[in-house]
Parts: sequence; C-alpha cells; structure tokens
Amino acid sequence: MNTFSMYVARESGLHKLYPLTKASLTLLLLIAGLTLPVNWAGYFLVLFVIFPLAIWGKVFKNFMRIVWSISLPFIISVIIIQSLFWGKGTPIFEFWILAPKIEGVIFATISVGRIILVMAGFILFAMTTRPDALMISLKQVGVPSSLAYIIVTTLQIVPRFVTKASTILDAQRSRGLETDGNLFVRSRAVVPIILPLVLGSLMEVEERAIAIEARGFNSNREETSLIEIPDTRAQFILRRIFMVLMILSIIARVAWQLST
Amino acid sequence: MAIIDLRNVTYKYPLTQESALKNINFQVNEGEFVAVIGPNGAGKSTLCYTVAGFVPHFFKGELSGTVEVAGADSSKSNLHEWVLNVGLAFQNPFNQISGAKYTVFEEIAFGLENIGVPRDEMIPRVNDAMKLTGISELADRSPYSLSGGQQQRVALTSILVMHPKVLVLDEPTSQMDPIGTREVFGVIRTLAEQGMTVIMAEHKVEWIANFADRVVALHEGQIIEDGKPQEALTSDVLAGKGFGISRYTSVARKAKETGLWKKDKLPVTLEEAVEGFAHV
Ligand SMILES: Nc1ncnc2c1ncn2[C@@H]1O[C@H](COP(=O)(O)OP(=O)(O)OP(=O)(O)O)[C@@H](O)[C@H]1O
Ligand SMILES: [Mg+2]
Repeated sequence: MNTFSMYVARESGLHKLYPLTKASLTLLLLIAGLTLPVNWAGYFLVLFVIFPLAIWGKVFKNFMRIVWSISLPFIISVIIIQSLFWGKGTPIFEFWILAPKIEGVIFATISVGRIILVMAGFILFAMTTRPDALMISLKQVGVPSSLAYIIVTTLQIVPRFVTKASTILDAQRSRGLETDGNLFVRSRAVVPIILPLVLGSLMEVEERAIAIEARGFNSNREETSLIEIPDTRAQFILRRIFMVLMILSIIARVAWQLST
Repeated sequence: MAIIDLRNVTYKYPLTQESALKNINFQVNEGEFVAVIGPNGAGKSTLCYTVAGFVPHFFKGELSGTVEVAGADSSKSNLHEWVLNVGLAFQNPFNQISGAKYTVFEEIAFGLENIGVPRDEMIPRVNDAMKLTGISELADRSPYSLSGGQQQRVALTSILVMHPKVLVLDEPTSQMDPIGTREVFGVIRTLAEQGMTVIMAEHKVEWIANFADRVVALHEGQIIEDGKPQEALTSDVLAGKGFGISRYTSVARKAKETGLWKKDKLPVTLEEAVEGFAHV
C-alpha cells in the first residue's frame, strides 16, 4: 500500500476513467456546490452524485472514513460559531452566553454542506486517480510538465504532512515534551513540533529538486511515457457536457443574484 | 586520460564565510573507482555536487578554478545537459523518490521518460538495471513502502538506468545492512571494470579498502591525502582529525608500538590483519 498518497487501488469503472474526465467532474461539483442558488445543493450532490460514484469506485468505506474525519471538526466548529454570533432568531436554549438560534444552526448546516461537497469531491478524485496517470494526462492537454509535477505532488502533501507531523510528535514526546494538558501546556508544544516540520520540509524540497534534476527533469528533449492512458470519444463528449453545466450553474447564480 | 579534471577549485556557498572547498586539484581516469573520505563537514558532499554540476549551477555561490568532465567545462554548460554525463545519487533515499510514480518500475523509468527514451527501449533498460542491482522483485511495489536500504537501491538504480559516463554517489549505502552494502559495492566495482567512472563519498573504510581503486581524503575543504586505499587509509596524516579508521588499523598500530606487528604496512581489512599477525 502506498501510504503517501490517498490512492486506493481497485478494479473499478471509476478508476479506469480518464483522469481529466474525473478532474472536470470534480471541478463541476466544486462550481455547482459554490454557485447553485439552491440551499441544500451541497447535501443533494453529495448524496446523489458523490456517494453513488464512491460505491461504483468500490471505495465507499475508505471514502466515508476520511470524509467523516475531515468534516466533523468543520461541522462542529461552524455550528458553534454560528450559534454564538447569530443575531436575532428563535433560541433553542439559553445558557450563559450561549444561545443558539434555529436560523443560525440551519444556515450553518447549509454552508457546511457546500464545504463537505468540495472536500468529498477532491477526496474521491484523489482516491481513485493514480498520481502518475493524472500527471500524464495533464501533460497531454498541454500543461507544462513542471506545473503538472507540482500539482501531482501537492495532492500528496496532505497525507505526507500528517504522517510526518505525527512522527515528530512522537519523537518530541519521547524527549519529554508535554503535549497533553491545558491550553497553555499545549500551546508551548507547538514550536518544537512546527519548527522541525517546516525546516524539514525546506530541506526536503531542496533535495527533491536536486534528485529530479539529476534525472533529467529539466531536459529539453521531447518527453516519452512508460504507461498509456486510454481516453474515449464518449468521455471527451462527457467533459464538454460538464463544462456546459459549469457555465449554466454560474449563469443561474448570476441570474438569481440579479433577481433578488 | 582524465575524464574528471578539477583544477584549483575553490568554492563558497552563498551567505557563508568559509570556503567549503579550498584549492582542489583532482583528476580521475576513466573506469577508476575513487572513494572520498573525511569527517563531517569536510566537504565530501560539496565535492560530489561540484563534479555533478549542482555546484555552482544549483547552489549558486562563488566558484573559482575549472571543473571539466568528459572534456566539457562545467561553467560553460547547462545543468540539464551535464546530468546526462554525470549521474548523482545521494544519501537520503526518501527525498530521491519522485513522488509522481506509483511503482518502483515506473519510478526507475522516470528519468528515461524525461530524456525522451522511447517506450520499447525503456522497458528492457529498466529491467536490466533492476537485475543489476538486485531489485527485480520490487518492481511492482510502491517506492514508499520499501525499507531505507531498498529505497537506496532504487535511488541508485534510477540513476544507473540513465547510463551516465560518471557516477557520483554520496553515501549511497548509509541505510544498508552489511549484506546490502557488500552487494552494492560489488555492483559498483563491476561497473567500474566495465569502464564507468565512480566517485563515492563513504565512511565505511573496510569496504573501501576491498573495492575502491583509490582514496581521496578531505579535511576542512582540502585534499590532504590521495592514493591507493591501503596506503591512504592507514596514513599518519589522517590521525587525530576525526577520520573513520578501520579497527584493524587501530589494533595493528597499537601492536606495532609493542613490537607485535612486524610489517611496515598497517592493515585495513580483516584479511590483511590476519595475514600480518600470522607471521608473528
Ligand atoms: N547548502 C549549504 N549552504 C551553506 N553551507 C553549506 C551547505 N552545505 C554544506 N555547507 C557547509 O559546507 C561545508 C562542507 O559540507 P559538506 O556537506 O560538503 O560536508 P560532508 O563532508 O559531506 O559532511 P557529512 O559527512 O556530514 O556529509 C560545511 O561546513 C557545511 O556546513
Ligand atoms: Mg555529506
């Protein structure tokens, strides 16, 4: 198992799709989620588009685990903030300075739905698309190879960062760093963890640049590719349809904005 | 004829006071296997980067003197052309994984893709290189799932597959066990016999004594010893300067003081030590 990318190897139709088809679908979901003037659009798309896709891609369980662990903190914090600062409305209960209003909670839930949609789209994409396949197809549509490389390696940074942070955390704990306790104790632990993480990353970037340069990355010869990724006419048309839908979604938003 | 030719090379990294290399004169013949030794900070990596073109092209800083490899002058060349002649693998294998490839096989092919080798040529080249370094059975694994020693072999293979004239290796076996180290030294020895020129920064003196043609000792940016491994590694010049010294040399040196070691030459390897003490 590749521990440093989110990719989950499965034999599925979703995995076999041309990476750009999946990328444009992800983009469509992102734009639709942010622009559609329908309150519950986020949840609707997650439920009726992303979930079926995750099942088709045979990654539903892994997918749910990650989406859940990333979304939950979001949901909780947005709801708390809304319930603290939402002005007028019908309070659900009142306790000390806390007085969550029904309207605030509903609004928060709606906006969280859009955030979940965007994250879920990206996670599903990363889980079912091999990084190298993405890189090749990006280059095929004319993205410069250095940019394609940056996009692809950035997609893998988040899981790598998490792994590294926990390694450093363990190392510093074993040297006696206190990371549990009250807020003050915890905040003192931030520097010994962040500093090695950042410095280590800088070193890593330099060495990685040397390593790929040594392997001819900046060569001005015409590149070749070991693997071939099949595209189909049907997918080409599908991508055009996605593009039209993106535009329609934006138009709908503008029209709605003007009418209200 | 010298394929590597450094003349009066002095180099300072940007924003530093002291030169990392001072007046280096260093010639290497084609097919020679040269080990570079020295304590931490002596300039081994810097020398490697200089031969590989990353000093000064990548690190910038001030370089004086001339660096020539295969007749080309480093200061008049582009790094992306230079790397076609000079392959570089360094210590930390993790950072040498491209991060854009899913299997070891594809990782090794990465360099060949970049320099435009056609697919039907690429596959046999990758297979041959993996067979040479003994990692054929790792072909379908993810590079990230490997041990440090295995990753170092992948890093070495990824460079070998590009068929450089000169191979520069900066502590390429630091994460390998003795068996792995022996195998890699063996592979490099074979390559040198086939005509590849090898520069290798390395601390493991007993292996150097067994496999290298020549040893260059660096200290504070200067070459203080240059010769056959047996002589260079036992030289008095290295004493007290923090060089890694073979335990057999240390034992024999002590034994010599008490007259127990009778030979002139001090041993580096176990075999030499056994042989010397056998005549007592
Ligand atoms: N990128 C850099 N920027 C500035 N100074 C550097 C840089 N890299 C190395 N140096 C300095 O140059 C000198 C030589 O370092 P170098 O890394 O070549 O030593 P080394 O012999 O490889 O040591 P080690 O055994 O630790 O690998 C040291 O004083 C070091 O601090
Ligand atoms: Mg070094």
